[in-house]
Amino acid sequence: MSASEVGARSLPAGAIAVSSTAAPRARRHWASLPAVATGALLLVAWWVASRAAEALPGPGATAAELLTMAADGRLASILSRTAAFMGACFVIAVVLGVAGGLAIGMSSAVDRGLSPYLAALQGMPTSMWIPVAAIVLGTDVWSLGAVVALGAVPAIVLGTRTAVRNVPPLLLRAGRTLGEGGTSLVRRVVLPAALPGIMSSVELGWSIAFRCLVAGEIFSGALSGTGIGKVIGRSRQTGDLTEMMATIVIVLAFTVTVDRLVFAPVQAHLRARRGLVDEGLSR
Amino acid sequence: MSAPVQFRGVTQSFARRGSARSGAARNGGARAALATVDLDVAAGEFVSIVGPSGCGKSTLLDLVAGHSQPATGSVTVGGVPVKGPGPDRMLVFQEHALFPWLTVQENVEFGLRAAGVDVARREATATAWIARVGLADAAGLHPHELSGGMRQRAALARAFALAPQVLLMDEPFSALDAPSRDRLHVELQGLWRDTGTTIIFVTHNVREAVVLGDRVVVMSSGPGRVIAEVAVNLPRPRVVESGRVVDLAQHVRGLLDEADQLGITAPREGKDGYVSI
Repeated sequence: MSASEVGARSLPAGAIAVSSTAAPRARRHWASLPAVATGALLLVAWWVASRAAEALPGPGATAAELLTMAADGRLASILSRTAAFMGACFVIAVVLGVAGGLAIGMSSAVDRGLSPYLAALQGMPTSMWIPVAAIVLGTDVWSLGAVVALGAVPAIVLGTRTAVRNVPPLLLRAGRTLGEGGTSLVRRVVLPAALPGIMSSVELGWSIAFRCLVAGEIFSGALSGTGIGKVIGRSRQTGDLTEMMATIVIVLAFTVTVDRLVFAPVQAHLRARRGLVDEGLSR
Repeated sequence: MSAPVQFRGVTQSFARRGSARSGAARNGGARAALATVDLDVAAGEFVSIVGPSGCGKSTLLDLVAGHSQPATGSVTVGGVPVKGPGPDRMLVFQEHALFPWLTVQENVEFGLRAAGVDVARREATATAWIARVGLADAAGLHPHELSGGMRQRAALARAFALAPQVLLMDEPFSALDAPSRDRLHVELQGLWRDTGTTIIFVTHNVREAVVLGDRVVVMSSGPGRVIAEVAVNLPRPRVVESGRVVDLAQHVRGLLDEADQLGITAPREGKDGYVSI
């Protein structure tokens, strides 16, 4: 292994790979420039839009509101409760979805039985289930939680099934020759081989679940206990969008944080191990 | 240690694509892959099977490995008919089939772990075999970080670590560059000498077959059958460039040419030394 290959492998996932070991630090600083530049452009665009539309709060007003919310604890409350709710629902959705997808992918009988219904379920807007759940299950946290979790499950199941189907048959043969079979074949060969595809479907499931959560909040105002619904209610009554805007920023920041802290590193790690990383067009 | 392999009256056929898929291929829609094959491989023998594409040589390996059942006839290993795949009959493929998410060390330990060997012993066995194939420095790397020759060495280590009774090799060196391949020829002969496993080596490269095997089984296609067996009595280790190997390979090529298996239709003028007829 040449020195440049060793150097390239040890850099963090977000950095640009270098061909020489000459100036890796300088490159790393420049690497965040695109994100900073785009962020600045977006802020300018927001400010222009807030000048044009009377009702839309600008970046300054939103930042002030955010500070107020941080001071009186509303920010922490929204963030922590959103994280808890999404975390719980999402873990359930992933466990059900991946297990279901593995079962469907490995057994053609189960596949023929379930796939048409899953495809239908995935295509339907899950928020249509929210009124039904509210009436049938009651208006506490668990009814929205059930809808959010089950909303993400079809996408995860179908994505997992595709990933399982795309496992190269050669690897399955090798696994069988080496003496694995049945569930241990699934655990030791199929699951790791399908993991990059499964992770993609898990990320999709996350975004679906999040949309369900917000849709539920809009519909009923308080189902999930995160407080987002109350914010929406207040904004509707007073007509002042500042708190709403600040909450939007909080929610966006939460999503980006989850992506950067959870999904992106996992994907990068998976791809690096399997040799799926390429320099792309950066050379 | 090693087990004899026997093929008795073996035939195989595959259903043509598009024809109705039932349990057994109907004659009208079936493509016969193997006409009757009778073959005996002694325990500890190194047999090369050579033939053109589509002559059923990979099918023979599949039958011994247990990935498919013969249409008629029987395949036995050590007197016991083959029922399904297992680590006592290890397959080494042309595409290395190493698991890309595991390091070399973990790949070699995989079969041992499946067999229930405890951690200390399987680590020791795996490390020993990795060193034996010359990959001691690369044990912590993933397959995508290895060269083609290194990957096939890792596949060999994985196969030998399970101490199989029969080693089935399906053109494992065909995808390698010539220097790596030549080096692996010598190393494989060394590994065979040390372990004494029965090896059935399938290739389309006639010289490779003569270099490696005690006996070269020559097959023809349409449908596959054995047309000749040539004993190779040259001393080991043999290399592809040796004069005696080349002469014997020419003889084998002549047999293939007689059965019109070389696919060469251009007229040949005089004895240009390529084929002996």
